[in-house]
Amino acid sequence: MTSVGGVSEGARTVTGVLGAEWVKVRSVRSFSYVLAGAAMSALLMAALAWYSASLYDGLPDGQRAGLSVTSLVSVIGLPLQICFGVFGVLVVTSEYATGTIRSSLVAVPRRWPVLAAKAAVVAAVSLAAGLAAATATFFSTRAIAGERPMGFNEVPLSEGVPELFAAAAAVAAVALAGAGLGAVSRSTAGSVIGVVVLVYVLPIVALNLPEPWSERVSAVLLPGLVGQVSGVLSGTLSHALLSPPQALAVLALYAAVPLGAAALALRCRDA
Amino acid sequence: MIEVKELSKRYGGTSAVDGLSFSVGPGRVTGFLGPNGAGKTTTMRVLLGLDAPTSGEALVDGLRYARIRRPMLRVGALLDAGALHGGRSAFDHLLCLARTNGIGARRVAEVLEQVGLAGVARKRAGGFSLGMKQRLGIAAALLGDPGVLLFDEPVNGLDPDGVRWIRELMRSLAAEGRTVLLSSHLMSEMELTADRLVVIGRGRLICDTTVRDLAARFDRGVLVRSPRAAELAEVLTGAGAAVAPDPSGGLAVTGVDVSVIGDLAARHALPIHEATPRSASLEEAYMELTAGSVEHRAHGSAR
Ligand SMILES: Nc1ncnc2c1ncn2[C@@H]1O[C@H](COP(=O)(O)OP(=O)(O)OP(=O)(O)O)[C@@H](O)[C@H]1O
Ligand SMILES: [Mg+2]
Repeated sequence: MTSVGGVSEGARTVTGVLGAEWVKVRSVRSFSYVLAGAAMSALLMAALAWYSASLYDGLPDGQRAGLSVTSLVSVIGLPLQICFGVFGVLVVTSEYATGTIRSSLVAVPRRWPVLAAKAAVVAAVSLAAGLAAATATFFSTRAIAGERPMGFNEVPLSEGVPELFAAAAAVAAVALAGAGLGAVSRSTAGSVIGVVVLVYVLPIVALNLPEPWSERVSAVLLPGLVGQVSGVLSGTLSHALLSPPQALAVLALYAAVPLGAAALALRCRDA
Repeated sequence: MIEVKELSKRYGGTSAVDGLSFSVGPGRVTGFLGPNGAGKTTTMRVLLGLDAPTSGEALVDGLRYARIRRPMLRVGALLDAGALHGGRSAFDHLLCLARTNGIGARRVAEVLEQVGLAGVARKRAGGFSLGMKQRLGIAAALLGDPGVLLFDEPVNGLDPDGVRWIRELMRSLAAEGRTVLLSSHLMSEMELTADRLVVIGRGRLICDTTVRDLAARFDRGVLVRSPRAAELAEVLTGAGAAVAPDPSGGLAVTGVDVSVIGDLAARHALPIHEATPRSASLEEAYMELTAGSVEHRAHGSAR
């Protein structure tokens, strides 16, 4: 039984398992909550733009030039990474919490296709939703800012677009890291803490390190990486230490290392 | 066909299964019995590739489970009916499993119909009663129309109607030529459902027998009362029976059937006031067997 109608058995399994994982994701409520979280984050960014605009309008002419607002696409990165990091965690740990992982692995005893399909669905969903939310933020905040020169809306489109893709890539990397942590720890709480540490705690800790370590460490942490991938630095780094391809490679490791550990754990441990 | 060969499984320090061997053939229901912690679930988990054996092997149709492609077409299993995502509908729950083995949505609807859940197919499984969850678990096992079926305590917590439904389903699945392995702690249930029995205790095989043989093995003879007991005893002994006085006053007769006793008494015109066949109930037999396993273990021998 190696081929059925010209399609190899392996390919059939992969599409079947992918389909199954997609059904699992779309058939539970937490999926809508995560998408709602992304939408709310985008709305929050629009509100921030509106608030900045009214602040700008309230300032006397002489002080307006001093008002520079950081890129809201980079600001939305944090809530999006948390949302989809938790999503990645839940896609795996909900199966351990409910016990459905057993029937999943009984149905696919080679196991790795289950993890690969989960990763593919998590990556596709978080990349698409991350890109959509970042793009919505980019255009809505510009529209709201209008002609007021407030920094973030003065960036030309050619620089803004790479930033959107970098933001979405970081969201997907965190989501995949969440899935990997979930499979290694099998614990929702533990994995969510891991995601928060990665996204939020480590960058703050890095900022408080003495130089030159603060810069060096920040360069390989998420906020720094997003800036270096797109070439639009904001906040934690004053200059790029990594080229965009290097930064993208480090970002990929954020997904690859936990997923690799997950594949190993899934293969070796009793379910 | 299921073959368990010298299977051992240790979890850290505890030995869950210890050198267990048995096989389960097609066409009948095999009951898998043992007290709590005997290793029934562990054996099934190893059979299904969920746990790796410490030593030995467990094969389905001669294959290690993990080597089977599209295993749901060959093996169906119910391990834990409560293992559901409460927010997912019954239909979606089955569809997730079906997709992985290239089974279509039409078959999902079919098995839901078969187990009587078609009416609630789109309802969230979290709201299901225990009996409905068991039915959903059985539907999942039947999805691929497999030749080998494993059920871990499917009747736990079911009402009498549900128990009867499962009993009849098991028997009909076996009658279709499938291999059916059914675990339970209840001998009374197995007595009605199973043809063969595999009894284990503390991870070891206690006996592998048919329900009929087990009943025969625990036959305690016939209690006979007669006003002419001495003459009757002589006649029965002459016919090859072993006769002993029973503590309750009558004769304890073993080695001949109750009908033979009646015929002999009639032929010799001996009156009989009582003739009661006394086999230990299978439940008692089972208690005795499993209690025995503990003793044997203390003396360091299997069986
Ligand atoms: N994952 C595990 N980790 C550690 N010990 C385990 C594990 N699974 C089972 N055991 C132990 O192995 C033994 C056999 O357990 P198992 O669940 O197979 O028994 P069982 O026959 O199914 O019992 P029950 O009738 O109560 O379901 C028990 O002593 C149990 O504590
Ligand atoms: Mg059990």
